[in-house]
Amino acid sequence: MSSPTVRRGGVGSTSRGAWVLDVSFVRRWIVEAAARIEEQRDFLTQLDAAIGDADHGINMHRGFGAALATLESSAADQPPGELLERVGMTIVYRVGGAAGPLFGTGFRDIGRTISDAPAPDAEALLMALTAGLDGIQRLGAAAPGDKTIVDAWAPALTAFESSLRSGGRVDEAAREAADAATIGVAATLPMQARKGRASYLGSRSIGHQDPGATSTALLFGALERVVRRTA
Amino acid sequence: MDRAARIMKALGASPRLGVTELSDKLGLAKATVHGLLRALERQELVEQEADSGKYRLGAAMLQLGNSFLDNHELRGRSLMWAGSLATRVGEAVRVGVMNGETVLIVHHVFRPDNSLQILEVGASIPWHACALGKAVVAYMPRQRRTALLSGELPRLTGRTMTEPSVLRTALEEIAGLGVAVEDQEAVVGEAEIASPIFDHHGDPAGAIGVVGPVERLLQDGPAAAVVAAVREAGRGLSRDMGAGRFAVRR
Repeated sequence: MSSPTVRRGGVGSTSRGAWVLDVSFVRRWIVEAAARIEEQRDFLTQLDAAIGDADHGINMHRGFGAALATLESSAADQPPGELLERVGMTIVYRVGGAAGPLFGTGFRDIGRTISDAPAPDAEALLMALTAGLDGIQRLGAAAPGDKTIVDAWAPALTAFESSLRSGGRVDEAAREAADAATIGVAATLPMQARKGRASYLGSRSIGHQDPGATSTALLFGALERVVRRTA
Repeated sequence: MDRAARIMKALGASPRLGVTELSDKLGLAKATVHGLLRALERQELVEQEADSGKYRLGAAMLQLGNSFLDNHELRGRSLMWAGSLATRVGEAVRVGVMNGETVLIVHHVFRPDNSLQILEVGASIPWHACALGKAVVAYMPRQRRTALLSGELPRLTGRTMTEPSVLRTALEEIAGLGVAVEDQEAVVGEAEIASPIFDHHGDPAGAIGVVGPVERLLQDGPAAAVVAAVREAGRGLSRDMGAGRFAVRR
């Protein structure tokens, strides 16, 4: 970390446009996400116990532990897109249940999009997050309101995009995305699950917060923090 | 009667509702709703929450639900088979019967690993999205099969078969093999291998299947040991139901 007296990217900053979607950003994002998931592991499992198999926290923790190992075993100069693709595939194979294939596909598609992006900027991040959601929806066929990952990811994406479009800096956009994801999680409480095993519970899924949406908010929270530090 | 039944169905669809919400939902006068709720409460079909004053389904509903499930001869006969199948393959086992266009889970044995799992008895799964449903429908008379194929085929995951022609081909294959396989068509990450159960008329009465993580059940194609065990359970249960030795598809 740089000296605390240097507040780059803060209010009135002149560093606008300086943010770069590089490999160091990607590595920090995964490390931060893994730390948050570790911290919330028991809470995620507890949420899952109400409407699932009580293994979401354990699975996510294992998956992000494996993702950290992937970071370590990757060359320091591996391009950010390729690195995220590798992380995605690791999560697909190492996280059980629905979360592994869904989050893994999301990261894989984020990585692919970053690899193909014309420039490593905020637009690339927007395109990548959009591709991640698309990949998740292709696999899970969930729509907003089904009480899934989509209910946190979709509003976060909308907030990120509208903030950028109205001239916001990338760190502001990331903050609004993280806030929207958190609000999205709270909105899953009164929903009746229409996808996944939780849907077998019918109306009994009402009143419980969705674990997948909660994990999604952790990923966006990590993104916000890392973008803020690198912007 | 009709209005009371509508109140109970509304309470079945939402966890708890007040008199005003029920009267709005059903278009009935509040006094009417109130009177009916009082009568239903006396029979323990509904109960009032002490703190919120709202209504929910009562304890008598559980007994009714259980006796409904017990009425299925298949359920009673499947208990032993399902238990030993779960022990043998180390995965969860479900038994289902057709109920309109969905499979109703009438029995569920947890994966025998002491992990916390949710009971799926009473769940309804669209027939085309699970191995249980496909196993039953594959052996239904052609007319019924065609009707189901032209019905609604909702998409539950990206892998759900929603094209009637694709499903028709899949059903032909299932009828040839005697076993249906589902690869993440109902829930991402989950697979099922199921076998039909025939009654004494030789009609498909339901199905029994092993359900579990796709990486364990379908790693290099359907796990041979699971397929064999499921097929054996299906045949044994059919025999117990009085089915002849060979079920014939009509």
